[in-house]
Amino acid sequence: MSKADRKPYMNAVLILTLVIILLPVLIMIVWSFTARWPWPNIMPESWTTRTITELLYGSNDLVSILGSSVLLAVIVAVLGTVIGLMTARATEIYRIRGRRVVSYVALLPLIVPSTVFAMGFQVTLIRMGLNDTMTGVVISHLVAALPYCVTIMMDVTASVGDRLELQAQVLGASPARSFFDVSLPELLPGILSSASMAFIISYGQYFTTLLAGGGKIKTLALVMVPYIQEGDRALSSIYAVVFVGSALVVFFVIELMMHRAMKGER
Amino acid sequence: MLPFILVTLAVLAAIVNILVQSLGYIPAFGLHDITLKYYIETLKRPEVLESLCVSLRISIVASIDAAVIGTLVCAAMVRTRRTKGGMLYAVRLPILVPHTVVAVFTVALLSQSGLLARMAYAFGFINDYSDFPMMLYGSGYVGVVLAYLWKEIPFIAYYTLALMSSISESLGEAAENLGASPLKSFFHVTLPMSMPAIAKSFLIVLVYSFGAYELPMLLGATTPKAFPVYTYIAFIKPDFKDRPYAMAMNGITLIIALIMTVCYAIIMHRMMKRLGGGDNE
Repeated sequence: MSKADRKPYMNAVLILTLVIILLPVLIMIVWSFTARWPWPNIMPESWTTRTITELLYGSNDLVSILGSSVLLAVIVAVLGTVIGLMTARATEIYRIRGRRVVSYVALLPLIVPSTVFAMGFQVTLIRMGLNDTMTGVVISHLVAALPYCVTIMMDVTASVGDRLELQAQVLGASPARSFFDVSLPELLPGILSSASMAFIISYGQYFTTLLAGGGKIKTLALVMVPYIQEGDRALSSIYAVVFVGSALVVFFVIELMMHRAMKGER
Repeated sequence: MLPFILVTLAVLAAIVNILVQSLGYIPAFGLHDITLKYYIETLKRPEVLESLCVSLRISIVASIDAAVIGTLVCAAMVRTRRTKGGMLYAVRLPILVPHTVVAVFTVALLSQSGLLARMAYAFGFINDYSDFPMMLYGSGYVGVVLAYLWKEIPFIAYYTLALMSSISESLGEAAENLGASPLKSFFHVTLPMSMPAIAKSFLIVLVYSFGAYELPMLLGATTPKAFPVYTYIAFIKPDFKDRPYAMAMNGITLIIALIMTVCYAIIMHRMMKRLGGGDNE
C-alpha cells in the first residue's frame, strides 16, 4: 500500500529532473537560430542562419577544429584505457604488491584540483620543451582521465578474473591468445565505458588545454569561450549545440559497438 | 604499470613545482631563498581571504545540495525501477556537457533578460527585468552554484545508482519483507549502505568545484573573484616577482583540498567501523 502511495512523488521528482536536464538543450537550439529576441518576449522575434555561416566560414575553421578535438580525445581515450587495463592486470591478475596503494594513488588527480595541476605542470612542460604541443596536452588530459579509467578497469578485471584465461592456457593457447580471445571480450563493456569516460573528459577540458597548449592547440571547448565572454548568445549557443551533438554522435557509436560486441558473444 | 607510474609522476612533478616555487626557490628568476613569507603575505591580503571564502562557500553549498538532491533522484530512480533506458541516458547527459556549455545556457536562463525573468514577467511576478534577482556576475555567486548543481546532481545520482540499486534489491527488500516500512528500510538500510558511493562522489564534486576555473570566470563577479580565478590572474602576470605569490595560492588550494580529503577519510573510516561494528554486538 505505502509503496504505491509514494510512487507519485518519486515520479514527480524524476519528471522534474528530466525537464531541468532537457530544457537547457532546447534553449540552446532555439538561441542558435535567433536573430532578435527582445524583452519580454517568450519566443524570439526573428530567426537567422547567420550562425551557420559564421560557424562554417567564420574566423575558426570548424571542420579542422572538430577533427583535431575528436582526434585528441580519441588518443586520450585509447591511451587512458590501455594504461588502465595494464595497471588493472598488474594489480588484479599478477597480484603485484601494493594493490591498495595503486588504487589510492590512481585517485590522486581527483584531489589535486585541475587548475593547481595545470599551473604546476606548465613549469615541467616548459622544462621538457613540451609546452604548446599536442604531447603536453595529451599528458595533461590523461592525468584528468586516468582516475576513472583505472577504477573502471580494476573493477571489471577483478570481476572477470583469470580463471577462463588460465584454462585456455592449460588447453595449449599462448598467454597472448588466451588473453585476446578469452578475457578481452569479457572485458569489453568495461573497456568501452572507460574509453567513453576518458573521451568526454578530454573533449570538455578547457583550463588544462589552455595552459598546456598555450592557445596554440585549439579544441572546440577552447574556441567557444571567447563568444561566451563577448556575450554573443547565438554564436556561443550554436557552438554548444555542435559540442553536445558531436559528443552524442561519438557516444552513439560506442554504444553501437557495445551492442555488437554483446551480440557477438552469444 | 610503467605508464601509470609515468602519469602519476606528472602529477607529483606539478605538486613539487607548486611547493618549491611557492617557497620562493625559482633559480630562473634569480630567487634562491627558501621562505614561508609568500604564504604569510598572501594570507594577510584581505582580498585573498575574501576570495577563499567565496570559493569555499560555492563548493560547500553546491556539493551539499548536490549530494542531498542527487541521492533523492537516485532513490527515485531505484524506487520506480527506472534504472535503465531513457532515464539513465538523461542522467548521463549532464556528465558529457562541459562547464563552458553549462555557462552558455545558464546565461540564457538566469540572466535578468533570461528566460526565467521573461516567464516571471509574463506571469506578473515582476514589472521590469531589473526586478528580477541578479543571479549572475554578482558577489552572491547564485548562478555559479545553480550551474554546478545542474552538472553535479546527475553526477552523484549516476555514481550512486549501481550500489544503491543492488542494495535496495537485496537488503532493502529483505528489510521490507521483515516488516519495515519503505521509508524505514530506506533510511536504516539502503541509505547507510549506499554512503560509500555518495560520500566519494561528494568529495569529488567538492574538490572539483573548489578548484575549478571555468564557471566562476564566466559567470562570477569582478570582485570578489573565486580563488582559482584570482590565482590564475596572479599566475599570468608578466612580472616574475608575482610568481611565488601565485604558487603560494596554488599551495593553499592544494592544502585545503588535502584537508577535505582527510576529513572524508576520517568520517568514512568511522562510518564503516560503525556499520561493521553492528555485526559484533
